[in-house]
Amino acid sequence: MTNVNTDPAADALVRAYLDRLRAASRNLPPERRDELLAEVLEHIDAALVADPQGGPEVATRNVLDRLGPPEEIVRAESEGTPYAGAPAYPTPAPASPWGGLEIAAVVLLAIGGVVLPIVGPLVGLVLAWSSSRWTRPQKAVASGLAMLPVLLVIPFVLVGS
Amino acid sequence: MEPGASARNVLTQLRRGTIEYCVLAVLADGDDYAFELVRRLSAVDGLVTSEGTIYPLLARLRRDGLVTTTWQESDAGPPRKYYRLTPSGKRALAGFTDEWTRFRDAVDELLEPAPDRRPRQGGRRDEREH
Repeated sequence: MTNVNTDPAADALVRAYLDRLRAASRNLPPERRDELLAEVLEHIDAALVADPQGGPEVATRNVLDRLGPPEEIVRAESEGTPYAGAPAYPTPAPASPWGGLEIAAVVLLAIGGVVLPIVGPLVGLVLAWSSSRWTRPQKAVASGLAMLPVLLVIPFVLVGS
Repeated sequence: MEPGASARNVLTQLRRGTIEYCVLAVLADGDDYAFELVRRLSAVDGLVTSEGTIYPLLARLRRDGLVTTTWQESDAGPPRKYYRLTPSGKRALAGFTDEWTRFRDAVDELLEPAPDRRPRQGGRRDEREH
């Protein structure tokens, strides 16, 4: 493992630290996780060469203290920067766009006109635009679909007249 | 919240927001390998509390194309990964330096108890100083 650490107590400390880091980083992409473990191990080796004061065990303890808790390091992986807009891990699942209100809106827009002409689709439109789950473009598409039957009828009316 | 805690919170946010530009600034002086870079940053008082958190930051800077890495042989031990500023990293640093200087000066001006900030009339300041 490390060519610096031949002391068993120091070696056990490093091993335990890396085990904690491995456990904390299990949600990272595999390549990044391997890389992070290699980076931290390289840091430990370099730090023990730079500050060997106090003997292997004390020096190792100091180096690991300065590195900080493994969980904190992994947490820093998912911290985005407002300037760079880096992707965060893990990506949270997007909220479903379908709630009771949205389903009712679509049903009314689609077949509401059959049950209650004009009023049915109109209520559907109101429901669609009051949805907090849908974005503005999605609401526009829903409204467009509601208008579709009307638009389809227009050519026939024009031809007929 | 007690006043001290609020100031500490502000400093935490400032540190978090500026640390990546501090990394770029350190690299502007020349390439560094990771350990050296981390130690130069943590030598600055209060900037880095957990040295290990610099590695995720370096990975992000690399993903964003602000730094690149090269492997170089070392006199002692295995080859080391060196970090270097890219042209877009230099631009990001220059942009931040401008913004930061302006921000810092503005805050300093309000915080410093400047004697000439008392009743001030245009053009009178120079006379008083002489």
